[in-house]
Order: sequence, then structure tokens, then C-alpha cells
Amino acid sequence: MGKKRRNANISKMKTEVSERPGKKIALLGNEAIARGVLETGVGVATGYPGTPSSEVLMVLSLLAKKLGFYFEYSTNEKVAFETAAGAAFSGVRAIVSMKHFGLNVAIDSVIPVAYTGVRAGLVIFVADDPGAWSSVQSEQDTRYYARMASIPMIEPSNPQECLDFTKEAFKLSEEFKIPVFLRTTTKISHSIGTVKLGKIKRIKMYGKFKKNSDDYYNFRPHLQVLHDRLNKKLEQVERKYGQKLNKIFPGKGRIGIIASGVSFEYVKESIKELKISPPIAKIGLSYPISKKFLKEFLKDKRVIFVVEELEPIIEESVKKIAKEVDPSVVIHGKDLLPRSGDYDLGKVILALEKLFGKKLGVNLVEHRKNVEKVLKDLPPRKPVFCPGCSYRSTFYAVKKIFGDAVYAGDIGCYMMGAFEPFKMQDFIISMGGGIGVAHGITRVSDQDVVVFIGDSTFFHAGMSGLLNYKFNNERAPLIIVLDNGITAMTGHQPHPGSNFTGAGEKVEPVRIEEIAKALGAEVRVASAFNQKELLEALKELKKIKGPKVLVSKGECRLLTIRKLRRKCIAIPKFQINEEKCKNFEQTLKEFSCPAIIKIKKRGKTIYKIDPDLCWGCGVCKQILPKGAVELKGEEKK
Amino acid sequence: MKFDIILTGVGGEGVLTSGVVIARAAALERYYVRGVQPHGLAQRGGAISTCIRFGSKEEVSSPETMQANADLVIAFEPLEAVRAVHYARKQKTHFVINKHPYVPVYADLLNLPYPKMNKIIKIIKPFAKKIHVFNAYNLAKKKFGKIIFGNMILIGYCFGLGLIPLKKRSMLESIKITAPRELEENLKSFDLGLEAGKKSIKV
Repeated sequence: MGKKRRNANISKMKTEVSERPGKKIALLGNEAIARGVLETGVGVATGYPGTPSSEVLMVLSLLAKKLGFYFEYSTNEKVAFETAAGAAFSGVRAIVSMKHFGLNVAIDSVIPVAYTGVRAGLVIFVADDPGAWSSVQSEQDTRYYARMASIPMIEPSNPQECLDFTKEAFKLSEEFKIPVFLRTTTKISHSIGTVKLGKIKRIKMYGKFKKNSDDYYNFRPHLQVLHDRLNKKLEQVERKYGQKLNKIFPGKGRIGIIASGVSFEYVKESIKELKISPPIAKIGLSYPISKKFLKEFLKDKRVIFVVEELEPIIEESVKKIAKEVDPSVVIHGKDLLPRSGDYDLGKVILALEKLFGKKLGVNLVEHRKNVEKVLKDLPPRKPVFCPGCSYRSTFYAVKKIFGDAVYAGDIGCYMMGAFEPFKMQDFIISMGGGIGVAHGITRVSDQDVVVFIGDSTFFHAGMSGLLNYKFNNERAPLIIVLDNGITAMTGHQPHPGSNFTGAGEKVEPVRIEEIAKALGAEVRVASAFNQKELLEALKELKKIKGPKVLVSKGECRLLTIRKLRRKCIAIPKFQINEEKCKNFEQTLKEFSCPAIIKIKKRGKTIYKIDPDLCWGCGVCKQILPKGAVELKGEEKK
Repeated sequence: MKFDIILTGVGGEGVLTSGVVIARAAALERYYVRGVQPHGLAQRGGAISTCIRFGSKEEVSSPETMQANADLVIAFEPLEAVRAVHYARKQKTHFVINKHPYVPVYADLLNLPYPKMNKIIKIIKPFAKKIHVFNAYNLAKKKFGKIIFGNMILIGYCFGLGLIPLKKRSMLESIKITAPRELEENLKSFDLGLEAGKKSIKV
């Protein structure tokens, strides 16, 4: 969901993450979490990829077979959670991994499991994305879910803690028989840090579900018994783990700082830079927040500054407790730092400068102004479809047929279609959300509506929306399933349409066209690299009234290129015939392939294909006049 | 002690991998290492950057380099070097720029021309202690027939200039762990860059 790949480094992760105990190495936060899982020893690992969480699953998928635990990429986060819960119900330790929006999908099943409890450790790893580096939906603060679900939440600050706290999360989960959230943010998950490794454990995978247990009898009035039991567990967790996972760093003065997650790392370095040494309270257990811990810290303080990204959750707890301890304590938080976006050293230093009346040697405000001035007129380098991407070709064809129809967007690489020159993602709501919203639009408007959705996203959350077309919409929008065979954006994880599983087992791929037919749609299949096929299918579908689906098939070019290189097969390269280089401008602008470059030569504009960038899809040859593009030869090896 | 390096360029150039090479080399020398890859939606062709920082554990904790505080900016692409001025300042920051522009499609689409190299240097100058320009991709193309080894040449070049305060042994060891495929070419690339860097000091 809203994501980005990092597949190239997998082989490295495999060697590094499985290094021997005692060694100190530089790992990503997510790699350290995976290592923490391995050092705990689990029987089952599941999840759905999504940046910034994906690397945890990538590492586990590569090591599952070797270490003998069960791994799967599930069809969505809800299914992934349920699978992990089933294992934990049966006494087998399990981890499930997702990004913050994934938890929105899973939450329906998560909340009841807090009531039923678990028989073995169950850790739900969730990565938030303040600053929305790789998300488009919102800047959701997942910490609220911990409160709503009554599930403890542990938050590491750096990769070493990612490893250590993962182990703590399992300990807590098993001690109190309760699921536990392990929460990070982008700048923890994707941060690099020195990590000291411990020993990898293997555990047996076989469990047994105990029937006739009161734990699962969640009917009233017993449901209230379970609810009371849950609340009691939380009190105990607060007492025991509040002391264990939170920490006070003593200092000078009566201004105290409270921080958690990556904010703590900023505070720690900022006070060094400013040469101040206030006492700091670090919150590692962000739910339940230990009242005793906060009371102790507040005791002799005059001013408290809470540094936390996104919502003022800790700040509110502190304010409540301050009323009991000493109402005269002044509490700062969101008055000094924003509630949106992510933080960095600069932002935290500026806030501390104000609070402590200190000045850093460098004027960051002026620096920022100078930077803004020089960056103003530079061409941006927004995300683009890769050269040779099957999606570019599909978008190009759809625009030819549907012009300025309403284009429903979704979560995946096709989000690049939101930018120039396509501008064909009029809204992006959630995984599968385009199908449903498009339906709503056609019920009230007679505009043409076209929905884009990727293959993995279709399996994740698209099917029920399509079924609803059959049930409720005789004037259904056209759905275009962009089928590149893989979950491309998060790093090429397999999905039901791929021919292998997360653990690398060969399987028969599920065909989207067959599912779409079964759900009541008229279906066409076209090759995404063949403009003629695309245009014909689109024209036909435009005339059809009921539910209709175009499956535009074309393997992710990154994957194709990787396969070709591995097999030492040459990649075709194209070149533009300069002589015929007339009136290309409009076409090439509309197509906007990064491999085609515009050059001024002797006052004339000519186009060239950069052989280092061209990945040989050959679509430019189809859209330009005959003879304008020709096969040039092939890349070496 | 703390040392801050920014690596920046275009998705697909090996920016992140090169950062990992430096990070692991620093870890091998028992420095406390931090860094971040806050990559967003950059597919092949989008802007990408990463911070690598190392030093004593007491001084280094933030994953991201502070504004105006980088010691070294390694730019795989000239335009992205400009965007890194955010992290740079006159008194401190060395820029090493790979003179191999990738014009973003948005230059044409939005009618914002890609600046000429001398303009780029002019913009960066007030933020740089020194600017080193080098075409690592040309050298890669000459020696190996493909630009992909340009990234290790560029890292080697920075090392040859004496701008990465680590030992050669740990850099080579780190390349072995990080880039095991086509290892021989990668090690050779590093050496090629290193020699070029040393030479350019003498000139």
C-alpha cells in the first residue's frame, strides 16, 4: 500500500541478518526487527507488504525455509493477522507485519483477539509514515489503535532497540497472554544503525488448538468477564513493563523533556548540539502509559516539553497526570512543534532554542530561506513510471479512448499516473477504494468513469467492490486491472496471481480474468505492450453497459530486466531516426518516457533514446510514425 | 567525533547501495553508525537520497543529518547535488558531483529548463567548502562498457580525495559483503576511482 521497492538489497540482507551472535553490524531498523523475530524464534510469520514495513517480511521470507518456520504473504492484512492469530491460539508463536493503513484493514479481527487472548506470543508489527514519504492516504497515528483495542504498544527508537524490543514484545505477549503492537515510523524502520546481534533460535512449529475454552466464549455476559480480564492485564502490564521499557536519563535543571520513538534520538543529539543537559524521560511503552513513571519524572519539574510526532497522545496523558501531581507545571508539546509531518534534528533544535533561550552556532532559519531561494526554479524530479513500464503504455492508450473521463486511482505504481503528463488519478482513497467510489459517482453523475487498480491490490481489496457492480450497478464504470504479475511497488512480493509463494514454493497462479468473469463482469485481456490490442479492447469495452474489466497484462519491466540479466540474455535497445524526427513533440510529451531525451542541435530540437536507460519495451516504436524508431542492437550481456 | 555523508541521485543509480557500503565499512571500524533511507515513491528515475553518519555513540543518534551540517555530499547526478544544499554549508561541506546529468521528464513537461553545469556550480558554491566534479560514468563506460560500475568508481574517487575518513581495508571488506555479485568489477571500480581521486589532488 503506498510504497516503494528495495529488492536489490535482499541478497545482502540475507547474509547480514543471519550473521553470527556477538557481532556488531549496521542494519536497517526493519532488518533488526526481523533479526529480533529470529532471535525469539517464531513458528509463523505472515503479512502484507507496505512501505515502510516491507523489509521485515522480505528478510523473513528468505530465511523461513532454512530456519523451519512457516511464512506467507497473505492476500491482505486482515487475513494475515487472522493466520497469525490462529497459530497463536494453537500455542505457536507468530508475527504479523503491515504498514499503518494495513492495520485499518485488519482491525476488525484484531480487537476481539485482545479479549480472547493468545496461547503463545503474538506480535503485530505496524509501521507508521509521518511525513507520508511513501503513503498517500493520510498521516494516521496508529497509537490510537492501541488505546481503542486495549492492546499494549511498544515503540523502539533505533535499530538496536528494534531488535531488543521485538524480543520484549514477545515476552510481554507470552507473560500476559495478550497480542502486542510493535510500532515504528519511517525514520526508524528505514534508518540504519549499529546493532549487536544475539543468538538465533529455532522452535517447533507444531501446535494444537484446545477446544471448549472459556477464552473464546465471547458472548454476553461472559464477554464482560473477558473485558474485565483484559483491563486487569493492562494494569499489570503498565506496572511491570512501564518500569522496564521506559527510562529516565537524569540531567540538570527543572525543565524536563519527554520523548518517544525517533523523536528521542533527535532530542538526545539536539541537547548535545545546544550544550544543555536537561533530564529526559524516554517512553518505550506508549500504551498503557505508566502513570507511576510519569509522576516520578514530573515531581520536581517546573516545565515539561513532550516531543512526539503526529498526535499529542503522550502530551495529553502528561497533562492529565500533571493535574494530580502539580497543576503549576507548564506543559509544552504541540505549541512548539507541528502536529503534521515528520520531525528532524533542525525542527527539534529550533523548538529547544526557544524553550531554553539558547542559540546554535548556525542560523537554521536563515539557512532554510537561502535554500528555498536557490531551489525555486529547478525542474522537479517527481516519481515517474520506470522506462519500459507496462503501466505507461496502458495509461497512454486509455487516455486516447477515454479522454477526460473521471479516473479513479488506487494504491500502487499506477499512482505515478497522478502526475504530468497523464494526470489520471483523480482521487486515491485506499486499497480497492477506487472501485467503490467510482460506483458512487456513476450513481449520481453521467460522466464516464474509469478505475485503475493493480493486480495485487485487486486480490487485496478489489473483488468485493466488483461484485457489488454486478449486484447494484447496471451502468458500471470500466475497471482496468494493471497486471504486472507481482506486487511491484513494495519490492516484488508474490501474490495469488504469481506462480510462487512467499516462501518460494511453486504454485498455480490465479487468473484475474477468471475471477472477474465469475464476479459477473465482461472481460477483455490485452497485452500492455501492444497498443493496437489495448485500443481495440478499450473501444469494445466502452460500448458495454454492465460491469466490465480490462486485464492489461505486462510483466513489471524491472523484473523482466532482472531476469534477462541473470540469464545473460541481451536487452533490446531502440533508437530514434533523427531524419524523421518531425512533429514528435506532442506524442513524446504525452508518453513521457524517461529514456527519451530532448536535445537542441544546431538550433533544431531532436530526440534521442538514452541506451543506458532504454529497457526495450518497444512501445515508442508503435506510437511514432513508421520508421521513426528502430531496433538498435542489444545491451551487452 | 561525528561525520555526515549525504548520497543523492536518481533511483536506479545505486545510491542506497553505495550508502550501505560506507555504513558497513564504518561499522567494521567500530564506529557507531546511523543513517536513513527515507525513500518515497521514487521508482527508477525519481530523486533519491540517503544519509550515512558515524562517530562516537555519545554524539551520533539522529538517523538524519542536520540541515547545513554535512561533511560530504556525494551526488550521483548534478541536479540532485543542488537539492542537497539543504544539508550543506560553506564552512564545512565538500561536494563531489558525478558529471552525468539525467534530465527529468518534468523539465520538458513543466517548462523548467535543466540548468547548465556552470550554473549548477554557481548555485552550490555559497554552500560548499569545495566542489569536485568528476565523470565516473564515462570512466565506467570506458573500462567496463556499462555505467553501472560508476557508483563504486564514484565512491572510490571520494575516498581517493581523502574525503571519507575510513580505512581502505574496511571499504573493500564492506564491498565484499554488500556487492557480492560482480565483486571483481566492483572492487576494481573502487580502485579506479581511488586512483583518479588521488591524481586529481596532485593536479
